[in-house]
Amino acid sequence: MHVALKIAGVVVAGVSLGLAATWVVTSRGGMGGSVADGPWKTSLVTGSSQSDPYTRARVALHGLLALKRDETIYYTATTDNEDHPLDGHCVYEIRGRDPSARWWSITAYGDDDYLIPNDEDLYSVSASSIGRAQNGTFHIQVGGLNVHQNKVDANWIPTGTKSFSLTLRLYNPGPDVALDPADAVLPSLKKVSCP
Amino acid sequence: MSERAQEWVFWIAATILVAMIVHLGTIYLLPRVVMMRALDRIGAVNTMHVGKRPTAASRAIVRPSPDIVYATCPYDLSKGPLRVTAPVIHTSYWSVSAFDANTNNFFVKNDQQTPTDSIELVVVKHGQAWPKLDAAVERVILFSPSEKGLILFRAVVDDDKHLPAIETALHQARCGTVASAPKLR
Repeated sequence: MHVALKIAGVVVAGVSLGLAATWVVTSRGGMGGSVADGPWKTSLVTGSSQSDPYTRARVALHGLLALKRDETIYYTATTDNEDHPLDGHCVYEIRGRDPSARWWSITAYGDDDYLIPNDEDLYSVSASSIGRAQNGTFHIQVGGLNVHQNKVDANWIPTGTKSFSLTLRLYNPGPDVALDPADAVLPSLKKVSCP
Repeated sequence: MSERAQEWVFWIAATILVAMIVHLGTIYLLPRVVMMRALDRIGAVNTMHVGKRPTAASRAIVRPSPDIVYATCPYDLSKGPLRVTAPVIHTSYWSVSAFDANTNNFFVKNDQQTPTDSIELVVVKHGQAWPKLDAAVERVILFSPSEKGLILFRAVVDDDKHLPAIETALHQARCGTVASAPKLR
Protein backbone atom coordinates (compact mmCIF):
# COMPACT_ATOMS: atom_id res chain seq x y z
CA MET A 1 0.00 0.00 0.00
CA HIS A 2 2.80 2.34 0.98
CA VAL A 3 4.70 1.63 -2.25
CA ALA A 4 1.52 1.97 -4.33
CA LEU A 5 0.99 5.42 -2.84
CA LYS A 6 4.54 6.42 -3.68
CA ILE A 7 4.16 5.22 -7.26
CA ALA A 8 0.92 7.19 -7.57
CA GLY A 9 2.74 10.24 -6.20
CA VAL A 10 5.55 9.82 -8.75
CA VAL A 11 3.05 9.51 -11.62
CA VAL A 12 1.01 12.56 -10.56
CA ALA A 13 4.10 14.71 -9.95
CA GLY A 14 5.83 13.46 -13.11
CA VAL A 15 2.83 14.02 -15.38
CA SER A 16 2.22 17.49 -13.89
CA LEU A 17 5.86 18.50 -14.28
CA GLY A 18 5.98 17.14 -17.85
CA LEU A 19 2.81 19.01 -18.87
CA ALA A 20 4.01 22.19 -17.15
CA ALA A 21 7.30 22.03 -19.08
CA THR A 22 5.39 21.60 -22.35
CA TRP A 23 3.12 24.53 -21.49
CA VAL A 24 6.08 26.77 -20.64
CA VAL A 25 8.05 26.07 -23.83
CA THR A 26 5.03 26.36 -26.16
CA SER A 27 3.28 29.38 -24.64
CA ARG A 28 6.32 31.61 -24.12
CA GLY A 29 7.83 33.62 -26.94
CA GLY A 30 5.12 33.03 -29.53
CA MET A 31 6.35 30.90 -32.40
CA GLY A 32 9.99 31.19 -31.46
CA GLY A 33 12.74 32.52 -33.72
CA SER A 34 11.16 35.89 -33.07
CA VAL A 35 12.63 39.12 -34.45
CA ALA A 36 11.46 42.70 -33.91
CA ASP A 37 11.40 45.71 -36.21
CA GLY A 38 10.20 48.60 -34.04
CA PRO A 39 6.86 47.50 -32.53
CA TRP A 40 6.42 44.87 -35.29
CA LYS A 41 7.42 41.34 -34.30
CA THR A 42 7.62 38.37 -36.60
CA SER A 43 8.80 34.77 -36.51
CA LEU A 44 11.47 33.39 -38.80
CA VAL A 45 10.24 29.83 -38.57
CA THR A 46 6.64 29.67 -39.85
CA GLY A 47 6.24 27.22 -42.68
CA SER A 48 9.97 26.60 -42.86
CA SER A 49 11.39 23.09 -42.72
CA GLN A 50 10.51 23.05 -38.98
CA SER A 51 12.91 20.22 -38.35
CA ASP A 52 12.92 20.37 -34.55
CA PRO A 53 9.86 19.16 -32.61
CA TYR A 54 9.78 22.22 -30.32
CA THR A 55 9.50 24.64 -33.21
CA ARG A 56 6.84 22.49 -34.83
CA ALA A 57 4.79 22.40 -31.62
CA ARG A 58 4.97 26.21 -31.24
CA VAL A 59 3.99 26.83 -34.86
CA ALA A 60 1.07 24.38 -34.57
CA LEU A 61 -0.31 26.41 -31.67
CA HIS A 62 0.41 29.97 -32.82
CA GLY A 63 0.72 29.90 -36.60
CA LEU A 64 -1.13 26.86 -37.92
CA LEU A 65 -1.33 26.82 -41.73
CA ALA A 66 0.95 29.85 -42.03
CA LEU A 67 3.14 30.00 -45.12
CA LYS A 68 6.91 30.33 -45.34
CA ARG A 69 8.26 33.82 -45.39
CA ASP A 70 8.99 34.36 -49.08
CA GLU A 71 5.26 33.72 -49.56
CA THR A 72 3.83 35.85 -46.71
CA ILE A 73 5.40 37.60 -43.71
CA TYR A 74 3.15 38.21 -40.69
CA TYR A 75 4.25 41.03 -38.34
CA THR A 76 2.30 41.60 -35.13
CA ALA A 77 2.34 44.71 -32.91
CA THR A 78 1.00 44.60 -29.36
CA THR A 79 2.69 47.87 -28.34
CA ASP A 80 3.28 51.31 -29.83
CA ASN A 81 6.70 52.76 -30.79
CA GLU A 82 7.36 53.57 -27.14
CA ASP A 83 6.65 50.04 -25.98
CA HIS A 84 3.32 50.88 -24.30
CA PRO A 85 0.61 48.21 -24.78
CA LEU A 86 -2.02 49.14 -27.39
CA ASP A 87 -5.20 50.36 -25.64
CA GLY A 88 -8.58 50.79 -27.35
CA HIS A 89 -9.28 53.93 -25.33
CA CYS A 90 -6.38 55.70 -27.05
CA VAL A 91 -5.94 56.96 -30.60
CA TYR A 92 -2.81 55.95 -32.55
CA GLU A 93 -1.34 56.93 -35.86
CA ILE A 94 0.47 54.70 -38.33
CA ARG A 95 2.75 56.69 -40.61
CA GLY A 96 4.96 55.55 -43.44
CA ARG A 97 5.06 54.43 -47.03
CA ASP A 98 4.28 51.15 -48.75
CA PRO A 99 6.46 48.34 -47.42
CA SER A 100 8.36 46.24 -49.96
CA ALA A 101 5.81 43.64 -51.01
CA ARG A 102 3.41 42.77 -53.80
CA TRP A 103 0.47 43.60 -51.53
CA TRP A 104 0.06 44.37 -47.82
CA SER A 105 -2.63 44.83 -45.19
CA ILE A 106 -2.86 45.97 -41.57
CA THR A 107 -5.64 44.37 -39.45
CA ALA A 108 -6.77 45.04 -35.86
CA TYR A 109 -7.62 42.11 -33.55
CA GLY A 110 -9.30 42.16 -30.13
CA ASP A 111 -7.80 40.65 -26.99
CA ASP A 112 -9.65 37.41 -27.93
CA ASP A 113 -7.67 37.19 -31.24
CA TYR A 114 -10.81 37.75 -33.36
CA LEU A 115 -11.82 40.71 -35.55
CA ILE A 116 -13.32 43.59 -33.56
CA PRO A 117 -17.08 44.19 -34.13
CA ASN A 118 -17.89 47.72 -35.32
CA ASP A 119 -20.75 49.51 -37.07
CA GLU A 120 -18.75 50.08 -40.25
CA ASP A 121 -17.59 46.42 -40.64
CA LEU A 122 -14.10 47.84 -41.01
CA TYR A 123 -11.22 45.63 -39.90
CA SER A 124 -8.19 46.47 -41.98
CA VAL A 125 -6.44 48.90 -44.29
CA SER A 126 -4.60 47.57 -47.31
CA ALA A 127 -2.36 48.55 -50.21
CA SER A 128 -5.42 48.86 -52.42
CA SER A 129 -7.80 50.60 -49.99
CA ILE A 130 -5.47 53.20 -48.49
CA GLY A 131 -5.38 56.87 -49.50
CA ARG A 132 -1.85 58.22 -50.03
CA ALA A 133 -0.36 61.71 -50.17
CA GLN A 134 1.22 62.82 -53.45
CA ASN A 135 4.70 61.82 -52.29
CA GLY A 136 3.47 58.26 -51.61
CA THR A 137 3.34 58.51 -47.82
CA PHE A 138 0.24 57.64 -45.81
CA HIS A 139 -1.14 57.97 -42.32
CA ILE A 140 -3.76 55.73 -40.75
CA GLN A 141 -5.84 56.61 -37.72
CA VAL A 142 -6.05 53.61 -35.39
CA GLY A 143 -8.88 53.74 -32.85
CA GLY A 144 -11.00 56.77 -31.92
CA LEU A 145 -14.03 57.85 -33.91
CA ASN A 146 -14.65 58.15 -37.62
CA VAL A 147 -13.53 61.70 -38.42
CA HIS A 148 -15.76 62.06 -41.46
CA GLN A 149 -19.45 62.61 -40.74
CA ASN A 150 -21.07 60.90 -43.69
CA LYS A 151 -18.46 58.70 -45.28
CA VAL A 152 -16.08 56.21 -43.76
CA ASP A 153 -12.45 57.26 -43.77
CA ALA A 154 -10.38 54.82 -45.86
CA ASN A 155 -7.40 55.43 -43.57
CA TRP A 156 -9.05 54.41 -40.33
CA ILE A 157 -9.09 51.15 -38.34
CA PRO A 158 -11.58 50.99 -35.43
CA THR A 159 -10.28 49.20 -32.32
CA GLY A 160 -13.12 48.97 -29.80
CA THR A 161 -12.31 50.01 -26.24
CA LYS A 162 -10.25 47.09 -24.93
CA SER A 163 -6.64 46.15 -25.51
CA PHE A 164 -5.94 45.14 -29.10
CA SER A 165 -3.15 44.14 -31.47
CA LEU A 166 -2.31 44.77 -35.11
CA THR A 167 -1.09 42.35 -37.77
CA LEU A 168 0.79 43.61 -40.80
CA ARG A 169 0.79 41.04 -43.62
CA LEU A 170 3.19 41.28 -46.54
CA TYR A 171 2.20 39.10 -49.50
CA ASN A 172 5.19 38.09 -51.63
CA PRO A 173 7.53 40.43 -49.74
CA GLY A 174 10.51 41.88 -51.58
CA PRO A 175 13.57 39.59 -51.49
CA ASP A 176 15.36 42.00 -49.13
CA VAL A 177 12.53 41.76 -46.58
CA ALA A 178 12.21 37.97 -46.86
CA LEU A 179 15.95 37.68 -46.28
CA ASP A 180 16.04 39.97 -43.26
CA PRO A 181 12.58 40.74 -41.81
CA ALA A 182 14.09 42.65 -38.86
CA ASP A 183 15.54 45.24 -41.24
CA ALA A 184 12.45 46.00 -43.35
CA VAL A 185 11.26 49.60 -43.63
CA LEU A 186 7.91 49.44 -41.83
CA PRO A 187 5.43 52.17 -40.82
CA SER A 188 5.71 53.78 -37.38
CA LEU A 189 2.98 53.35 -34.75
CA LYS A 190 2.62 56.37 -32.44
CA LYS A 191 0.16 57.19 -29.68
CA VAL A 192 -1.68 60.45 -30.49
CA SER A 193 -4.00 60.89 -27.53
CA CYS A 194 -5.48 59.18 -24.52
CA PRO A 195 -8.51 60.31 -22.54
CA MET B 1 24.17 7.38 1.98
CA SER B 2 21.50 6.11 4.34
CA GLU B 3 18.89 3.73 3.08
CA ARG B 4 16.28 6.42 3.48
CA ALA B 5 18.26 8.92 1.37
CA GLN B 6 18.79 6.30 -1.31
CA GLU B 7 15.09 5.69 -1.43
CA TRP B 8 14.44 9.42 -1.87
CA VAL B 9 16.94 9.64 -4.73
CA PHE B 10 15.19 6.73 -6.42
CA TRP B 11 11.72 8.28 -6.20
CA ILE B 12 12.94 11.70 -7.36
CA ALA B 13 14.74 10.13 -10.33
CA ALA B 14 11.56 8.21 -11.19
CA THR B 15 9.52 11.44 -11.07
CA ILE B 16 11.97 13.21 -13.39
CA LEU B 17 11.88 10.27 -15.80
CA VAL B 18 8.06 10.30 -15.93
CA ALA B 19 8.12 14.10 -16.43
CA MET B 20 10.57 13.79 -19.34
CA ILE B 21 8.53 11.08 -21.05
CA VAL B 22 5.31 13.09 -20.70
CA HIS B 23 7.01 16.31 -21.84
CA LEU B 24 8.67 14.82 -24.94
CA GLY B 25 5.54 12.81 -25.77
CA THR B 26 3.25 15.84 -25.66
CA ILE B 27 5.70 17.97 -27.69
CA TYR B 28 5.82 15.22 -30.31
CA LEU B 29 2.05 14.63 -30.42
CA LEU B 30 0.88 18.26 -30.15
CA PRO B 31 1.13 19.21 -33.86
CA ARG B 32 -0.71 16.03 -34.88
CA VAL B 33 -3.51 16.64 -32.38
CA VAL B 34 -3.84 20.32 -33.37
CA MET B 35 -3.95 19.38 -37.07
CA MET B 36 -6.48 16.54 -36.59
CA ARG B 37 -8.75 18.90 -34.64
CA ALA B 38 -8.45 21.53 -37.38
CA LEU B 39 -9.29 18.94 -40.07
CA ASP B 40 -12.31 17.73 -38.07
CA ARG B 41 -13.55 21.29 -37.65
CA ILE B 42 -13.38 21.95 -41.41
CA GLY B 43 -15.67 19.00 -42.20
CA ALA B 44 -15.99 16.12 -44.65
CA VAL B 45 -12.75 14.80 -46.16
CA ASN B 46 -11.96 14.80 -49.90
CA THR B 47 -14.47 17.63 -50.37
CA MET B 48 -13.83 21.31 -51.07
CA HIS B 49 -15.08 23.75 -48.43
CA VAL B 50 -15.24 27.39 -49.53
CA GLY B 51 -15.30 29.90 -46.68
CA LYS B 52 -16.92 33.29 -46.52
CA ARG B 53 -14.90 36.47 -46.25
CA PRO B 54 -14.11 36.71 -42.51
CA THR B 55 -15.92 39.26 -40.32
CA ALA B 56 -16.14 39.86 -36.56
CA ALA B 57 -18.64 36.97 -36.51
CA SER B 58 -15.99 34.51 -37.78
CA ARG B 59 -14.86 32.59 -34.71
CA ALA B 60 -13.60 29.26 -36.09
CA ILE B 61 -9.93 30.16 -36.52
CA VAL B 62 -8.02 32.84 -34.58
CA ARG B 63 -6.74 35.95 -36.35
CA PRO B 64 -8.43 35.41 -39.71
CA SER B 65 -7.58 37.88 -42.47
CA PRO B 66 -10.62 39.96 -43.50
CA ASP B 67 -8.95 40.41 -46.90
CA ILE B 68 -8.65 36.72 -47.78
CA VAL B 69 -11.21 34.15 -48.86
CA TYR B 70 -10.09 30.60 -48.08
CA ALA B 71 -11.06 27.28 -49.66
CA THR B 72 -9.94 24.06 -47.99
CA CYS B 73 -9.92 20.36 -48.80
CA PRO B 74 -9.08 18.06 -45.88
CA TYR B 75 -7.89 14.84 -47.47
CA ASP B 76 -7.53 11.17 -46.61
CA LEU B 77 -5.58 9.08 -49.12
CA SER B 78 -6.56 5.69 -47.65
CA LYS B 79 -9.09 5.06 -50.45
CA GLY B 80 -6.88 6.30 -53.27
CA PRO B 81 -5.05 9.37 -54.57
CA LEU B 82 -6.66 12.82 -54.39
CA ARG B 83 -7.32 14.92 -57.46
CA VAL B 84 -7.69 18.69 -57.02
CA THR B 85 -8.68 21.03 -59.82
CA ALA B 86 -9.14 24.79 -59.55
CA PRO B 87 -9.15 27.95 -61.63
CA VAL B 88 -6.09 30.15 -60.98
CA ILE B 89 -6.99 33.71 -59.94
CA HIS B 90 -4.64 36.20 -61.56
CA THR B 91 -6.21 39.50 -60.45
CA SER B 92 -4.60 39.46 -56.99
CA TYR B 93 -2.46 37.25 -54.76
CA TRP B 94 -3.64 33.64 -54.97
CA SER B 95 -1.92 30.52 -53.69
CA VAL B 96 -2.48 26.83 -53.17
CA SER B 97 -0.59 25.10 -50.40
CA ALA B 98 -0.48 21.61 -48.89
CA PHE B 99 0.04 20.63 -45.25
CA ASP B 100 0.67 17.14 -43.87
CA ALA B 101 -0.82 15.64 -40.68
CA ASN B 102 2.17 16.92 -38.73
CA THR B 103 1.45 20.58 -39.80
CA ASN B 104 4.42 20.73 -42.22
CA ASN B 105 3.83 22.88 -45.29
CA PHE B 106 5.16 20.59 -48.05
CA PHE B 107 3.95 22.50 -51.10
CA VAL B 108 3.00 26.03 -52.12
CA LYS B 109 2.50 27.74 -55.48
CA ASN B 110 1.14 31.23 -56.10
CA ASP B 111 -0.53 32.81 -59.13
CA GLN B 112 2.72 34.33 -60.41
CA GLN B 113 4.30 30.87 -60.47
CA THR B 114 1.24 29.44 -62.25
CA PRO B 115 0.72 31.19 -65.61
CA THR B 116 -2.09 28.83 -66.67
CA ASP B 117 -5.82 29.51 -66.16
CA SER B 118 -6.29 26.39 -64.08
CA ILE B 119 -4.25 24.00 -62.00
CA GLU B 120 -4.55 20.31 -61.31
CA LEU B 121 -2.89 18.60 -58.37
CA VAL B 122 -2.70 14.87 -57.85
CA VAL B 123 -1.79 13.98 -54.26
CA VAL B 124 -0.47 10.48 -53.59
CA LYS B 125 1.03 8.88 -50.52
CA HIS B 126 4.24 6.89 -50.51
CA GLY B 127 3.85 3.65 -52.42
CA GLN B 128 0.55 4.67 -54.02
CA ALA B 129 0.41 4.48 -57.81
CA TRP B 130 -1.02 7.61 -59.36
CA PRO B 131 -4.04 7.44 -61.61
CA LYS B 132 -4.08 7.31 -65.39
CA LEU B 133 -3.74 10.91 -66.51
CA ASP B 134 -4.57 12.83 -69.64
CA ALA B 135 -1.26 13.91 -71.07
CA ALA B 136 -2.64 17.27 -72.20
CA VAL B 137 -3.37 18.90 -68.83
CA GLU B 138 -0.88 20.94 -66.80
CA ARG B 139 -0.56 19.24 -63.43
CA VAL B 140 1.56 18.79 -60.36
CA ILE B 141 2.06 15.42 -58.65
CA LEU B 142 2.48 15.79 -54.88
CA PHE B 143 3.80 13.15 -52.53
CA SER B 144 2.08 13.57 -49.19
CA PRO B 145 4.27 12.54 -46.25
CA SER B 146 1.11 11.39 -44.42
CA GLU B 147 -2.19 9.76 -45.31
CA LYS B 148 -4.19 12.73 -44.02
CA GLY B 149 -3.56 16.39 -44.69
CA LEU B 150 -4.99 19.61 -46.05
CA ILE B 151 -5.05 21.51 -49.34
CA LEU B 152 -5.57 25.25 -48.75
CA PHE B 153 -6.39 27.94 -51.30
CA ARG B 154 -5.93 31.62 -50.40
CA ALA B 155 -7.29 34.47 -52.52
CA VAL B 156 -6.70 38.11 -51.55
CA VAL B 157 -9.69 40.41 -51.98
CA ASP B 158 -7.76 43.48 -53.09
CA ASP B 159 -10.96 45.34 -53.96
CA ASP B 160 -14.56 44.72 -52.84
CA LYS B 161 -15.57 44.86 -56.51
CA HIS B 162 -13.55 41.70 -57.16
CA LEU B 163 -15.19 39.68 -54.37
CA PRO B 164 -17.98 38.07 -56.47
CA ALA B 165 -15.52 36.94 -59.18
CA ILE B 166 -13.10 35.58 -56.56
CA GLU B 167 -15.88 33.69 -54.78
CA THR B 168 -17.15 32.27 -58.08
CA ALA B 169 -13.66 31.06 -58.99
CA LEU B 170 -13.10 29.45 -55.56
CA HIS B 171 -16.47 27.70 -55.78
CA GLN B 172 -15.28 26.06 -59.01
CA ALA B 173 -12.45 24.34 -57.14
CA ARG B 174 -12.96 20.58 -56.72
CA CYS B 175 -11.25 17.77 -54.90
CA GLY B 176 -12.00 14.07 -54.67
CA THR B 177 -10.59 10.57 -54.55
CA VAL B 178 -9.57 8.94 -57.83
CA ALA B 179 -8.88 5.29 -58.46
CA SER B 180 -5.22 4.30 -58.59
CA ALA B 181 -4.07 2.93 -61.91
CA PRO B 182 -3.24 -0.77 -61.75
CA LYS B 183 0.41 -1.17 -60.83
CA LEU B 184 2.72 -1.98 -63.73
CA ARG B 185 4.53 -5.26 -63.44
